[in-house]
Amino acid sequence: MAHLTKNYPIKARDYLRAGEVSMQVQGLLKSIGFVQEVIRRVSICAYEAEMNVVMHGGDGEMTVEINTDGIILNVKDSGPGIENISLALQEGYSTASEEAREMGFGAGMGLPNIQKNSDSLEINSEKGKGTEVKIGFKA
Amino acid sequence: MDQGDSSLHYVHIDEKRCTGCVLCMKACPTKAIRVRDLKVAEIVGTCIDCGECIRVCPRGAVKAITTGSDPSTLSRYTIISASPVLYAQFGEEVMPNEVLLALRRSFKYVYDQAYIHELYNVAVGLQIKENRDKEGAIRPMISPICPVVNRLIGYRFPSLVKNIIPIVTPREIAARELKRRLYCEKVFDTSEFGVYHITPCSAKMVSIKHPMLLKSSYLDGALGINEVFELIKRNLRDLEEDMMLHRSSGVGIGWGVSGGEIAGMGEGNYLAVSGLQETIRYLEKIEMGLFNNIEYFEFRACLEGCIGGPLTVADRYEAKRTVAKFVRMFGQEKRLKYAQAQKAYQEGWFHSEVKTVQADTKNRLSLSEAIERQKRIEEVFRVLPGKECGLCGSPDCQSFAEDVADGKVSRDHCVLLNLKNEG
Repeated sequence: MAHLTKNYPIKARDYLRAGEVSMQVQGLLKSIGFVQEVIRRVSICAYEAEMNVVMHGGDGEMTVEINTDGIILNVKDSGPGIENISLALQEGYSTASEEAREMGFGAGMGLPNIQKNSDSLEINSEKGKGTEVKIGFKA
Repeated sequence: MDQGDSSLHYVHIDEKRCTGCVLCMKACPTKAIRVRDLKVAEIVGTCIDCGECIRVCPRGAVKAITTGSDPSTLSRYTIISASPVLYAQFGEEVMPNEVLLALRRSFKYVYDQAYIHELYNVAVGLQIKENRDKEGAIRPMISPICPVVNRLIGYRFPSLVKNIIPIVTPREIAARELKRRLYCEKVFDTSEFGVYHITPCSAKMVSIKHPMLLKSSYLDGALGINEVFELIKRNLRDLEEDMMLHRSSGVGIGWGVSGGEIAGMGEGNYLAVSGLQETIRYLEKIEMGLFNNIEYFEFRACLEGCIGGPLTVADRYEAKRTVAKFVRMFGQEKRLKYAQAQKAYQEGWFHSEVKTVQADTKNRLSLSEAIERQKRIEEVFRVLPGKECGLCGSPDCQSFAEDVADGKVSRDHCVLLNLKNEG
């Protein structure tokens, strides 16, 4: 089966370049020619996931796996981890730093937005070690 | 709009003048230009008529196709509707009315389009208000004024076509109403007159011949400001006619500069962005779901707005100063009756239909073919030097990798790769 994997490193607290990775992912999907609606949903999720790493994480990376069934975004970071995942999935719940909020981020919509726009969502996190978010989309 | 058809463009490269340098290819935002064997540039991809290539070509080899000002190609009775950008081309001392009078010496029927801008502002304001209360409201809405932005959205951001506000542009309203009025008044035989737009914009012809937002355009053609500049200059000498052709306030004239459109809309969460690269950045972000707090975006492909259009003559910053002076002189107070404009809006006077852009299905690959193609692209890209020199004839390494993957050129065209291999 046709299959393509790409890796993109994400730097923590680099607000200047935040969003670059999701734009590259968006460009990749456009170049392949996915349906607009899929591209829109993946872009939103990629952006939110990238911002989560920038705001909370240590450095991390986004892996994009593409095959004829769909797209999987795998976002890993070495940040503080999520203490309570079900709380983090609630709209408006945020643990973002003062710095992030001053930049206009951290409204507590990240993970809820991802959940809303994806077909599957898997979150693995251990306090102090990091977080892995796996987001799936059907083609 | 048939976005896959590259023949639908009105920018032309003159092979005789082209030296095969890489400037236009590098400037093209849709990467539509290739330089064949480093001898001559040609437009091979989807051109959005932005005119960036016209601006950068030092030899004047790139031109916008317009109707031209040759009287023999125009209708017998020519009606001219002028973009207010024209008023800013002759310095601060020449008043808009003088420009219109000078035009009238050659064209007989001349109309001040800027007045319609005020009406348009009212219609957009009402549409936004309606949209605000709707469930599932579209946000942000996007101005339909710039034909390059419309084409950019159709081609690169098709999911945002629905965000383009369905209001007829002032240039089209002006043409429609002029025709209607002249027809009703039976001024002359309708088959014998045509409405022509004087424009700073290289994409106006394509928007007239292949409109995206209307079934067909009410305009019959477009003349570049650069094509009528000398004529107006000549006609301005010892101008004796005395007649008020200029009707607009500063609101309509201000449209020539970026931010002028939203300035006429009063208070609101609106944003004006100009320049093609900036516009692309913003559209990318809007597609990602950002900026949904903004109600209306005024995008202009040309830096600083239409005064920076590729068919202008005056320097864009001097023109900007001139516009600012006229805005001060003629004031921010609109000269229309609000209730009248509101009534026209309710009667559907302003409504246009935004066509959904059909995806190009002709040469479409299956998903698995497209993934294989992407893999080939990545493979080629990986070994390229990444200097973005353009000597291969493609605008950058990414496009070259695509061209190689598609079998359009051989990898041997990469000069630096060959040097390295020769070692």
